[in-house]
Amino acid sequence: MEMRATPAALDPAAADAAPLASLVFEPLVRLDANGAPQPCLAISWQHDASAKRWQFNLRPGVKFHDGLAMLSAAVAASLQPALPGAALTASGDAILIRTGRPEPGLLLDLAHNGLIFAHDAGGGFVGTGPFRVASWEPGRRATLSANADYWGGRAFLDTIEVQMGRGLRDQLVDLEVGKTDVAELGPAELRRASGQGRTVWSSAPVRLIALVFSPGRPADPRLREALALSIDRAAMHSVLLQKQGEITAALLPQWLSGYAFAFPTAPDLARARALAAELPASARSLALGYDPAIAGGRAIAERVAVNARDAGLAVPVSPQNPQSDLALVELRVPSLDAARALAGIVLSAGLEAPQPDGPAPEALYASERRLLEDFRVIPLFHLPDLYGAAGRIRVFQPPPVARLGEWRWETVWLSGTAP
Amino acid sequence: MTFRTRLLLLFATTVVVAVAFVGAIVSTTTRRAFERLDEQRVSAVAAQFRQELARREREIAPRVKDVAEADSTLAMAVCLSGADADPASCVEDVQPVAAAHNLDFLEMVSSNGTLISSAQWPARFLYREEWVTLRDDWNSQPPFLKREELPNDTALALTCVRVATVADRRLYVIGGEALDREFLSSFVLPTGMRALLYREPLSLTGAAGPVQQTAALAPVISEIRKRRAEVTRMVQWSADAASAETFHAIPLIGPGNELMGAFLVGSSRAEQVALERFLRRVEILVATGGILLALLVSLWTTARITRPVEALAAGARAVAAGDWKTYVEVRSGDEIGALAAAFNQMTRELLEQRDRLLQAERVAAWRELARRLAHELKNPLFPLQITVENLQRARAGHPGQFDEVFRESTATLLAELAKLRGIVGRFSDFARMPPPQLETVDLNGLVRESLKLFEAQLQSAGVTLHLELAADLRAIQADPGLLGRALQNLVLNAVDAMPLGGALTIRTSPEEGGVRVEVTDTGQGLTQEECGRLFTPYYTTKTHGTGLGLAIVQSVISDHGGRIAVRSEPGKGTTFTIDLA
Repeated sequence: MEMRATPAALDPAAADAAPLASLVFEPLVRLDANGAPQPCLAISWQHDASAKRWQFNLRPGVKFHDGLAMLSAAVAASLQPALPGAALTASGDAILIRTGRPEPGLLLDLAHNGLIFAHDAGGGFVGTGPFRVASWEPGRRATLSANADYWGGRAFLDTIEVQMGRGLRDQLVDLEVGKTDVAELGPAELRRASGQGRTVWSSAPVRLIALVFSPGRPADPRLREALALSIDRAAMHSVLLQKQGEITAALLPQWLSGYAFAFPTAPDLARARALAAELPASARSLALGYDPAIAGGRAIAERVAVNARDAGLAVPVSPQNPQSDLALVELRVPSLDAARALAGIVLSAGLEAPQPDGPAPEALYASERRLLEDFRVIPLFHLPDLYGAAGRIRVFQPPPVARLGEWRWETVWLSGTAP
Repeated sequence: MTFRTRLLLLFATTVVVAVAFVGAIVSTTTRRAFERLDEQRVSAVAAQFRQELARREREIAPRVKDVAEADSTLAMAVCLSGADADPASCVEDVQPVAAAHNLDFLEMVSSNGTLISSAQWPARFLYREEWVTLRDDWNSQPPFLKREELPNDTALALTCVRVATVADRRLYVIGGEALDREFLSSFVLPTGMRALLYREPLSLTGAAGPVQQTAALAPVISEIRKRRAEVTRMVQWSADAASAETFHAIPLIGPGNELMGAFLVGSSRAEQVALERFLRRVEILVATGGILLALLVSLWTTARITRPVEALAAGARAVAAGDWKTYVEVRSGDEIGALAAAFNQMTRELLEQRDRLLQAERVAAWRELARRLAHELKNPLFPLQITVENLQRARAGHPGQFDEVFRESTATLLAELAKLRGIVGRFSDFARMPPPQLETVDLNGLVRESLKLFEAQLQSAGVTLHLELAADLRAIQADPGLLGRALQNLVLNAVDAMPLGGALTIRTSPEEGGVRVEVTDTGQGLTQEECGRLFTPYYTTKTHGTGLGLAIVQSVISDHGGRIAVRSEPGKGTTFTIDLA
C-alpha cells in the first residue's frame, strides 16, 4: 500500500503513523459496527456508579511482538499518556483507573486512543496486534509481517509493504497500473477511482475542514461573520468534494454529536454584504492561507475567495504563512467520545477549551455553540478517510477501515490466495 | 553715459536680440519638426495597433469555433444534456482545452447560463453567466472586447462566443485572448515611444509590467471616458520637463458602447527637451561670446574714435582753464584728425591773438597811464607855474610885497608838490601790490569790520545799509587786510555811485566749493561798455579818482584765487559779485 505521510517511526501516539499503528498496536476495547464496546486486550471491565473508578481485566496469554508477555504494568504505563490526571494501578491481570470526574465515555476514548505498547531492547515500540514491524526506513518504506502468535489468530496477509511519501495522484496511478493494492484517495482521485469501478474504503467523516482565524485577526467580528455567511458550501461539496463527507457548520460530525444539523450551513449573501458594507473599504480584506497537505485545499480556498468577493470582501489566497489572517485547516476528530473529541478539536484549532455543563448532548451543544458564535472557527465539511483498493483485495470481517480511520486488515486477503 | 558705454550696449543688445531671434526661430522650427515626427510615429503605432487587433480578431474566432466543435466539447455537451447531468464532473475539463487552443480565457456555460467550467478562474464553477444566453446568434457575431474577472485582478480580453448544440441544448463556449503585456510586446516601437494599456476602472499595464503612476494620466482617462474618442494630451510625470510624454489614447469600446479601456501610445519628449536645452545653451554661449566680442569691438572702436575725441575734450578743458599752449596729438587722417588739426590751429591763433591783444592792451594801458599821468601831473603843474610866475612878477614889480608873496607862493608850491607826491604814491602802491598772507578769516566778521569805517560817511550820504549775512558761512583762507581793502573799495565805489543817497546791500552766502559776497547799490548804474572796462587800471567813470580802485579789487580777488563779476543796468544800480574758494 502507499501513503502520503512520512512517519519517522511507528509511534502509537504520532498522528502521521496512526493508520499503521492500528495494525501493530491494539486497545483494551474496540467498538463494533454499532458502536458498542467489544473486548480486545481487555476481556471484561466494570465501573462504579459514578464512572470514576474503572477496572479492566486483561486478556491472558497475550504476548508483545518481542515475545514478552503483556503485563498489567506495561498496560498501565501505555495508558497513562492517554489519561492525564487519572491514577492507573496494575493489579495482577487487571488494571484500575481512577479519575477525578465521571468518565462515562472512557471506553469510547480508549477504543481509539488507548493503544497498548511496550519498548523493545532497542527502545522501539512493540505491540500486540496482528502485524509486526519487519523493517522500517523512516519516511520511506516499511514492511509489516503477520504476527503468527496473534491472540486472535494469524492475519490472512503475510506481509504489508508500505510505500511512504507518495502523492495522491501518484498513488492512484500506481493503483491503476497494479503497483499498489491500496491507495489513499482525494476528491479528485475519488471521481476517477469511482469511474473505474474500484472498491473504495471509507471511514466515518472524521476530518473537519474549517477556516480558522489567526489569534487577534481580524479584530472586527462583522468581517468574520460576513465571510462565514458568504460561503456556499453546497457547491464546493458537490463539485470539489464529489459529494463526499458532510456539509457542516459544527465542529463535531453529525454521527458523533447528533446535533450538527442544528448549525445552519446555507449562505446568506444579503446579510454578508450588509455586514461587509458596514466596514470601511480598507478593512474588507482577509489573507487566506491553506494547508497544502489538504487534498483539494487550494480549490476550496479559492472558492471561498470567490464567495467572499460576492459579499464585497477581498480574500487573496496563498499557502498558509504567518501573514495569513485565516487558514483553511484540517482538524481530525480525535476520539469517539464526543466531549473528548470536541476538546481535542478545539485544542487543535487553538481555541479555549470548552467547559460543558455535563456529558449530556444538550450541554455539549451549548458549549459548541458558544465556541462558534464569534466565528473564529468556520467549519465547512466533515470528510472521511478514503482509500481505493485493487480488485484483488478481498475483505471478510470487520470493515478494513474503522470509524476513526483505524485499519483493521487482519481479515483482508488477496484473491487467488487462500484466506 | 559715455560713448563707449553706449557703443557697448548697442553692440551687446544687437547681439543678444539677434541670437534670441535666431534661437526662437530654431526652437520653433525644431519643436514643429518634432511634433510632426511625433504625429507620424504615433499614427504609425496606432495603425499598427488597429492592424494587430484586427489580426487577432480574425484569428480568435476560428480558434473558439474549433473548441466549440471539438470532441471534448461535444462530450461535455452530451454529459450536460442527460437527465442525470452532473456539472461537477466537467469542472476541470476546460483548462487543457484552453491550453491546447492557445486561449488565455475559456469558459463553458450551460444552456441555462450556469458556468460549468472556467479555465481562467476554476473556482467560479456553477456561477451564473446569464448575459451569454440573451442572444441566439453568437455563431455569427464577431469577437468583442470584454472585461474578464480573475481571482486577484481583472483583464481585458478579446472574446468570442460560439455555441455547441446537442439535443437542442446549448453549450456556450466563451474563448478569449488577453490584451496584456504580451500583446503590448508585439508592437515594434521606435526609440522613445511606448505603448500602454489602460483598463477600467484604474489599471495601467506596459510591456514591462504594471505601471504604478496612474495619477498623471487621469486627465487623459477622464477625457476618454467623456468623449469616447481618440485623445492626444501631454503628460508630465515629474517636475523635469524631460519627463513629459505626449500620449495618444485610443478608446477600447465593448458591447453596449461600454468603455473597456484605452490603448495609449506615449512619445517621450526627452529628446526634444534635450535638443532645446542644447540649443539654449548654444544661444547663451553665442550671446556671451557676442557680448564679449561686442566689448572688444567697442573697446577697439572707442580706442579709434573716442580717444582722439577725449584728447580734444581734454585740450578744450585745458584751454578753458587758461592753458592756451595745449596741443592735441592725433595721427589719424580722418574727420577726427582734421578736427584735432583745426583745434591745434585754433589754439595757435588764440595764442597769437592773445599776444596781440596783450600787446595792444599794454600799449593802451601805457597810453592811458600816460594820459592819466599827464592829466594828474598837469593839474598841479599849472599852479606851480603860476606861482613861480607870480614870484617872478612880484620880485620884478613889487619888491616890497615879495616876501609876502614869497611866503604865500611857497605854501602853494609845497601844497601842490604834496599833491604830486600823493599821485606818485598811489601809482607806486598799485605797482607794488603785495602777495596775500592767507589766514583763516570769518568773512561775515570782515564785512562788519570793514563797514564800521563807513558808518558816518554812509549816514551823511543818505545811504541805507542792508546786511544779509548767511549764518552758516564757513571760514575761508584769505588775507584780511587785502580782502578788507577790496571790500572798502567796493563800498566806497557804491557810495560814490549814489550821490543822492540810496540803499547799499551787502550779502554773503555759501556756494558750492566756497562763499560769495555781493555788494549792490541802487545808484545810476553802468552801461555794458562801462562794465566791460570797469576793471581796467586807470579807467574811471568818475570825474575824480585814479581808476585804480576796482583794478586793485580785481587784483586782490585774483590773488586769492577768486573771481569778481559785475552786472548792472543804467538807472537800476550795480552789483559786484565776489566768489572765493
